[in-house]
Amino acid sequence: MRALQIAATGMLAQQMRVETISNNLANMSTTGYNARRAEFSDLHYQQMTRPGSINATDGTVVPTGVQLGLGVRPAAVSIHLAQGSLSATGGDLDLAIDGSGFLEVTLPSGQSAYTRDGGLKMTGEGLIVTSDGYPVSPEIVVPADARSISINSDGEVFAYFAEATAGQQIGQFDLTGFTNAKGLEAIGSNLFAETEASGPPLTSTPGQDGLGTLRQGYLEDSSVDAVREITELIAAQRGYEMNSKVISAADQMMGATTQVR
Amino acid sequence: MDNTGYITLTRQMGLMREMQVVANNIANAATSGFRQEGLGFSEYVQDIKGGGSLSMGNGNVRQTSLVQGALSETGGTFDFAIEGDGFFLIETPEGERLTRAGSFTPNGEGDLVTFDGHRVLDAGGAPIFIPPNSGSIGVGPDGTISANGQFVGQVAIVQPNDTTNLIRENGVMFRADDGFEPAEMARVLQGFVEASNVDPISQLARMIEVQRAYEMGQSFLDSEDERVRRSMDAMMKSN
Repeated sequence: MRALQIAATGMLAQQMRVETISNNLANMSTTGYNARRAEFSDLHYQQMTRPGSINATDGTVVPTGVQLGLGVRPAAVSIHLAQGSLSATGGDLDLAIDGSGFLEVTLPSGQSAYTRDGGLKMTGEGLIVTSDGYPVSPEIVVPADARSISINSDGEVFAYFAEATAGQQIGQFDLTGFTNAKGLEAIGSNLFAETEASGPPLTSTPGQDGLGTLRQGYLEDSSVDAVREITELIAAQRGYEMNSKVISAADQMMGATTQVR
Repeated sequence: MDNTGYITLTRQMGLMREMQVVANNIANAATSGFRQEGLGFSEYVQDIKGGGSLSMGNGNVRQTSLVQGALSETGGTFDFAIEGDGFFLIETPEGERLTRAGSFTPNGEGDLVTFDGHRVLDAGGAPIFIPPNSGSIGVGPDGTISANGQFVGQVAIVQPNDTTNLIRENGVMFRADDGFEPAEMARVLQGFVEASNVDPISQLARMIEVQRAYEMGQSFLDSEDERVRRSMDAMMKSN
């Protein structure tokens, strides 16, 4: 009785959909978060009668045949890469990326990771780091006696000292793009790692190669659309219930079978 | 001799199959590009020596509903939906396949692929290369992809020559053994994905129908069993 297993694959799929939605909703206010979407695909088909097989000695061909599907499988949880809205914070080191690029950070292991969370901070030594303390690559150190810093849309960082009115350039932010940014591996803490699927990182200067520009004093909001998530949640819940109905119907059919005699 | 039993058995087996089809439809109610299936019964008539005939209902006809599914807006650059009849053309190791699931993405090499990594083909049967960091990607109704106003490629939209002879394969793909030709009436929409065309309400209703029909068959078998037993008892007593 395969209907039971088929409905079970359906329930698992809907459950995964709810899990994806709940993660999206939980990250509604996470800076630079992009909504994920669960995608499904059908499973294998069992050929009961092949279409096109010959039915009788006179050569009549079965036009459609019988194929029984065996359920559903999760195919992908894809990142919906969309520009989130920018909210003004006024922070010196708050950077929003207006475009598709990522900031590169160096992990303690020496590997590179990529983020769109531009809520940067400064260490005691003046090194510019992410909220988790990972330095941004290339490293930028703000001198201790700098009065203020400004970052322009091309990523150039200027420091202002004492009474000087003109700033001195102390560094430059780069942006990194990927051929397939959806293929990046999310490793938590708003960070992504390069994979075989994403293609190699392509580092460039903001404002060039279509990677976008930087906005100082802004942060990118989460791109989660609450209305969409809630409608999806309703659909997922109903889908789950329908599959459970199939299970109970299949169960009752089996019950009817065992009651004969 | 036991013709009643065999006739009911054929019917019950068909209903069991139909239950499986319904379960598969409901399980795939959230699978984008999925096409609803139906099972039909055909009559199988057998001549009985000495008069009369036996008619059995054999569940062996498959229908694939090619009705347009709802379009759900995703906003994704490489999410394409087809409005109208037609399919995207996909290259798999086993040959060319058709699909309506238009959630594509460029892979690491820049070729446009499905979520299973199969390449999407253009009208000439070649993969479509999306230049890296190409900025804004636009798609025209005829499937023409452009990056910053520059022509990049054109997604093939094809229509099978015989829509009844489509073989389903996993990954929401169809195999068209009778070949296909360019679809004339289809429009491609960017930022949308076609939802499954399963109608859950009618499927649930069908499920209840199948279940009740199955129970009816079983109680029929039950009373038939009872009848045979009684007549056997009666014969034994009269002996």
